Amino acid sequence: MSRFDDELREALKRVDPPDGFSERVLARVAEERAKPSLIERFRRALWAPRMRWAAVGALSLAILAGVQHQRAVEQRARGEQAKEQVLLALRITAEQIQTAERGVRKLNASW
Amino acid sequence: MSQLALADSVTPGAQAVSEADFSGILRENQAMVYSIAFNFLRDQALAEELAQDVFLQLYKNLGRLESRQHAANWLRRTTGHRCIDFARRRGPVKEVDLESAPEPSSEGSFTDPLLRERLRRLVASLPEKKRLLVIMRFQEEMELEEIAKVLNIPARTVRTQMWRTLALMREKASHFLGEIDSTGRGPDRKEAPE
Repeated sequence: MSRFDDELREALKRVDPPDGFSERVLARVAEERAKPSLIERFRRALWAPRMRWAAVGALSLAILAGVQHQRAVEQRARGEQAKEQVLLALRITAEQIQTAERGVRKLNASW
Repeated sequence: MSQLALADSVTPGAQAVSEADFSGILRENQAMVYSIAFNFLRDQALAEELAQDVFLQLYKNLGRLESRQHAANWLRRTTGHRCIDFARRRGPVKEVDLESAPEPSSEGSFTDPLLRERLRRLVASLPEKKRLLVIMRFQEEMELEEIAKVLNIPARTVRTQMWRTLALMREKASHFLGEIDSTGRGPDRKEAPE
């Protein structure tokens, strides 16, 4: 053990903190404890009047958007159905024309 | 097993430190936390502020600590890291490189309080990590392996840095300490790398 080490140890030995230190720490802890939690702060923010109106607005917009989307889907489905019907009618007509054409050819051949 | 169980994770089944233990932990460790901060920063107000912040952080993390011993180790490590962070944020305001630190002119006696003040200034002139190494070694009487765990650096690095720092400090201090010791060897000298 050298004198230098002894002196350094002595120079750096622990000292007590200023009077009232622990009381000040405990006061800060009490302050911290009194602070509302993150969930509590979120809940309070959600119930603030402005936030309530904003939530109502956002919900209304979401419902409106949902209704519009549903309408668009239904309209598209109806369009598809009409297209199918037209195609079916065209197919039937074409078959009937072909049948009539075959009948006319048979008559022409017998004469 | 080292007394310095520094794992952050709580061992399954271990009893966490309760809120009721907090004031006891505060009472037992306030001198340690404050002294690390004070010896590092050399400013009473800053040291108190930093020490308060450390205890507040401890309070928020009580559930993660397994025992009072774990809490003491946590405090030692957190204080050290916070000191380094604080000094880095503050910038090199008071820091003087050890090489260029002013050398005391007069010789002091063994019991001279001024001599110890000079040693404190010498410590304060060290770069942050080296300063913390010296404080942990000489204030907290920690083994080099424990310091390595606290600072999360290899023990070999701690040994080398401690040896170099102390050698330089001895050289500086020799001007006001006179002949440092009859053998010219300190306790850490034998641990020096080849």
